[in-house]
Amino acid sequence: MRSLQRPLPSARGAVCPRRPVHRMVSCSAAARPIARATDQQKLELLKRVECFIFDCDGVIWLGDKVIDGVPETLDMLRGMGKRVFFVTNNSTKSRAGYMAKFQSLGLNVQAEEIYSSSYAAAAYLESINFDKKVYVVGEAGILEELQLKGIHHLGGPADADKRVTLRSGEFMEHDAEVGAVVVGFDRHINYYKIQYATLCIRENPGCLFIATNRDAVTHLTDAQEWAGNGSMVGAIAGSTKREPTVVGKPSDFMLRNICARLGLRPQQICMVGDRLDTDIMFGKNGGLNTALVLSGVTTEEVLNSPGNTVVPDLVLPKLPDLLSVREAAVVAA
Amino acid sequence: MKKATDQDKLAAFQAYDAWVFDLDGTIWKGSTLIPGAKEFIELLRSYQKKIFFVTNNATKSRAANAAKLTSLGIPASPGEVYTSSFAAAAYLRTISFHKKAYVVGEEGLVEELSAAGISCVGGPEHRGKEIDWQDKEPHVEVDPEVGAVVVGLDRFINYYKLQYATQCLLSNDSCMFVACNTDARGHFSSTQEFAGAGTMVAAIIGCSEREPLLLGKPASFMLDHLCATHQIARDKCIVIGDRLDTDILWGIQNGAGTCCVLSGVTSESQLLSSDNKVHPSLYMDSIGDFLSVKGQLPSSCSIM
Repeated sequence: MRSLQRPLPSARGAVCPRRPVHRMVSCSAAARPIARATDQQKLELLKRVECFIFDCDGVIWLGDKVIDGVPETLDMLRGMGKRVFFVTNNSTKSRAGYMAKFQSLGLNVQAEEIYSSSYAAAAYLESINFDKKVYVVGEAGILEELQLKGIHHLGGPADADKRVTLRSGEFMEHDAEVGAVVVGFDRHINYYKIQYATLCIRENPGCLFIATNRDAVTHLTDAQEWAGNGSMVGAIAGSTKREPTVVGKPSDFMLRNICARLGLRPQQICMVGDRLDTDIMFGKNGGLNTALVLSGVTTEEVLNSPGNTVVPDLVLPKLPDLLSVREAAVVAA
Repeated sequence: MKKATDQDKLAAFQAYDAWVFDLDGTIWKGSTLIPGAKEFIELLRSYQKKIFFVTNNATKSRAANAAKLTSLGIPASPGEVYTSSFAAAAYLRTISFHKKAYVVGEEGLVEELSAAGISCVGGPEHRGKEIDWQDKEPHVEVDPEVGAVVVGLDRFINYYKLQYATQCLLSNDSCMFVACNTDARGHFSSTQEFAGAGTMVAAIIGCSEREPLLLGKPASFMLDHLCATHQIARDKCIVIGDRLDTDILWGIQNGAGTCCVLSGVTSESQLLSSDNKVHPSLYMDSIGDFLSVKGQLPSSCSIM
């Protein structure tokens, strides 16, 4: 926070650059340029990895179009007995809700293969044997996932039209049995929800503050970037002065949860994504193999620029590039 | 550290010419005056002390706060009132700001900005605005002339405003991000603390990844303005407030005396805890406690 101290500033104005994304692990620069994966490297990856985790945007699809060759690649991986997960930080839909999107794009997936941050919140509460109520700031997806795990909840879309009346003696009641506030992306965020969540966190002893994710912007449409859950979470961190437990990327909860469920070690998993500072760092911090695809936001120039210190294990122009070793992989399996 | 004794109170009375009061939690809670507030202000005025009311609450203008004080029995003029909304407007005037301001805030903020000749977009007009997600290409069009996003307490915050503010900061060249204040919570009601402007500011930091320029307490702007306008030396000012990280820190960082009252957000245990690094010159339950020395003051005369 910059506050105005003496002397008064010049007419230049208060412009500051975007804060850099926090890097948790530093990687030394590799030999430049970082080469695209050879067939040999692809085969080695397919041999040692049992499970692939895919970021969706820029890896599986771009906007509303599946990237050419992706369905065949997924079939190949499944045919080899590999497990696949599709990760999204968007909490507005449940896993079952996302299934509809996958199916409409012609992708054959099971709901259990989708790891949405809405599911992550419910899975986290289950993993700590949570047995109280949850106050939700967020959309239907979180409520549906909590419901599926039998976790009592209140708030969510039902509080979209609630108002704080601002009478001078105004007093808001809140449920003393709320033991966690879960904050996800909420296009109906309002002061009532912020205040209710604040009361729960501050006044209910031991109340947890859980965030599905903290992405600053989210790509809801192609036309513009949209304010993301970083704003909803920011609001509640701002009033409570508490930091949340984040369950979506780049927190490692999801990775630990997948490892535990499948009985795999991190070295047997590969994270495939298009962003160095989230997907690849996320994978590296979790001890996973990492594969960067160039079909999304990261270009080869950015990858090889002197400013970049994040080195993925593999670089592919796009995911379906793995198909080049399809026959060799089958023979080797 | 112990609560102020009569001796401490008398010393303060002698030492300070300008008494700078916070409002929420210090003079009133909601629309209920703190007991003794009216009488103490009257006492100070009878000794020709200069009185100021400085609030981080941006929702009401200076004039509206002065009117509220007067209606509750504490006569006050707008010139004696400083609000963080006035501070934002005064700052923009100082830098000859000529563009438009996108306001995430209530009427008071728009009033103060308009009074300073700044064109506003948003504010109360964007209350209840929704985005039609069924639309073919939903998007929020922003005015390209917006050169600053100004944020204060906004109890009508919604996603449309968050998105509008974000788009201004991301796509309007050199767009400033100005925060009236960042208080986490406040006593806008007499019965309970409510989420403060810190909520709205943190929300916009969360999606724009920009840091704002802060004008309200504990930034020095309002004290600088008050001292310059009324020609008062800083060390002749005492700041009285209920909040350590704004009122008291503000006074300490700017060379003024400080008195923390326990009638608002801060409890005695918080004040005295080893975690607290902000130590006021004196503290007491409420400003009404000053009245205990009324009978010991010299006969009414100017103490300058």
